[in-house]
Amino acid sequence: MKQILLITDGCSNVGMNPVTAAAHAYAEGITVNVVGVLDQGDLGEAGATEINEISKAGGGLSRLVHTKELARTVQMMTRKTVMHTIQNAVHKELKQVLGDSSLESLPPEKRGEVVRVMDELGETAKLRVALLIDASASMKPKLQAVEEAIKDLMLSLQSRQGESELSVFHFPGGKHGEGAALDMGWTRSMKDIPALFSRLQMQGTTPTGPAIMEVIDFYRKDDYGRGHRDDMDGLRSDYVV
Amino acid sequence: MTWMGCGVTTSFDLRLARGTILYGKWHGGRYEVQRLLGEGANGKVFLVSHRGRSYALKVGADAADLQSEINVLRAITDTKSRSGEPFLVHVDDFTHYPGRDYCFYVMQYIQGSSMTEYLQREGSEWYSLLGVHLLRQLAELHQEGWVFGDLKLDNVLVSQYGRAHLIDYGGVTAIGKSVRQFTELYDRGYWSAGSRRADPAYDLFSLAVLLIQVMEDRRLAQLLKSRDRSVNALLALVKESVTLAPFGEWFGKALSGGFNSAREASAAWQSRYRTRSSARQRKKSGSRWLFRAFAVSVLMLAATAIWYLNV
Ligand SMILES: Nc1ncnc2c1ncn2[C@@H]1O[C@H](COP(=O)(O)OP(=O)(O)OP(=O)(O)O)[C@@H](O)[C@H]1O
Ligand SMILES: [Mg+2]
Repeated sequence: MKQILLITDGCSNVGMNPVTAAAHAYAEGITVNVVGVLDQGDLGEAGATEINEISKAGGGLSRLVHTKELARTVQMMTRKTVMHTIQNAVHKELKQVLGDSSLESLPPEKRGEVVRVMDELGETAKLRVALLIDASASMKPKLQAVEEAIKDLMLSLQSRQGESELSVFHFPGGKHGEGAALDMGWTRSMKDIPALFSRLQMQGTTPTGPAIMEVIDFYRKDDYGRGHRDDMDGLRSDYVV
Repeated sequence: MTWMGCGVTTSFDLRLARGTILYGKWHGGRYEVQRLLGEGANGKVFLVSHRGRSYALKVGADAADLQSEINVLRAITDTKSRSGEPFLVHVDDFTHYPGRDYCFYVMQYIQGSSMTEYLQREGSEWYSLLGVHLLRQLAELHQEGWVFGDLKLDNVLVSQYGRAHLIDYGGVTAIGKSVRQFTELYDRGYWSAGSRRADPAYDLFSLAVLLIQVMEDRRLAQLLKSRDRSVNALLALVKESVTLAPFGEWFGKALSGGFNSAREASAAWQSRYRTRSSARQRKKSGSRWLFRAFAVSVLMLAATAIWYLNV
């Protein structure tokens, strides 16, 4: 399972529309979640709409939170998304077998068995999460909370039975203020997390769309390198009736 | 929490008026709603009457989440059915007015109050007995290979004579897996004191925080504001507290993974209680106090006896 989790506090203002970029991600089997962090005021209707739209196009969730709720939100969103990805796959199977995709259409006794398999998958399926952090100037006071949230997420991922990896990007990155820069490649354990943002130069623009595209590209190269098939498909044929 | 996005129920605003009759869709039971007992992130719990008796009926906000809770309750009830009535009574769905189906399960109704309310009303002599009951239930769960997970103030109800019950099995996790549901304040990871992998020590950590909270709510809140989130800060708080200080060693072990099992933690907790109460008895006297102390120790003895018989 592949996820991108975008943490931002404003509207994109450079390059490709982030909603289109998120739709690209979803088409490649990557779910996009978005957390909007706001401490004073709000990020305006346009910002809230954009966040919601990105997550919809990316098949994921979105939430607006204060920095003190960030760690908890990131952790819960990741977990919920894992369960939804599995639910979607199971619903497709149910539809084929029963002609109805809802769990409620099964009698309670059968439901138990299906959910047991879903829970087992949620715990054991391979999971990769790429965090994409908005590092425009207004995010500066929030980066410490972001760093705490990253460590907290790593702690939760490490506790899963399935293989779990985390990577971190920030944007804008690169010389021309376009796209995203990699801060940490795929990492499996807490002790390998470097001090992430201590030397980060905060810049003005917010190229959310191009940054998402760059993370998609990162996933693509990675998959090519590992020669992996889609993880969910592999698991589905093993487990579900 | 409300979530925006695809395929997620955005909120759970089911309201059932007193007197509403719910009919089980698959098994045909009839349940009359009395009132709302409480609600949480995963659903709403109603007091209902069914065949002339009171039960608690939990309606899930999400079918899959409720079902995994039911799976756990089934597994636990199966192993516990010899010790009296099962906690889980029925599982079914009902159809409510706008044509939507809701999943529910029916469990025993526990008439009780929160630990803090109970201690305020009945006095802090009952404190250590609450600990005894909780440790006993945790020991039973652990023995069957489960960890409770989301141990917190909301998930404990205290009925007559200080009988503390664990409710809400949504966080129950098989030992060795990642804890399914937790609440930051009671979470070992949040205090940088270990992983979120389910092991008996995870529950004992949460229990320690809970047992601090019910006595020293204000100090704990202050500690959280100071942003010094560490086991040492918690232990310093225990030392400063008149009520908690006698249990200092116990808290030290519970917060640092020093107990191998809830049974061991239980034995340590009870021995603390005995030495403490005999020390107090010498200093203080008064018939009402003595009577209460007597009542408490009889209950403790009974609880211990029942526990050893059961385990
Ligand atoms: N068996 C019971 N008897 C009496 N009251 C109950 C019972 N079960 C639950 N309640 C009440 O309903 C409230 C919510 O129930 P529960 O904790 O199961 O919901 P939840 O949605 O899982 O909550 P959480 O947010 O903790 O996950 C409880 O805090 C308690 O007050
Ligand atoms: Mg609860």
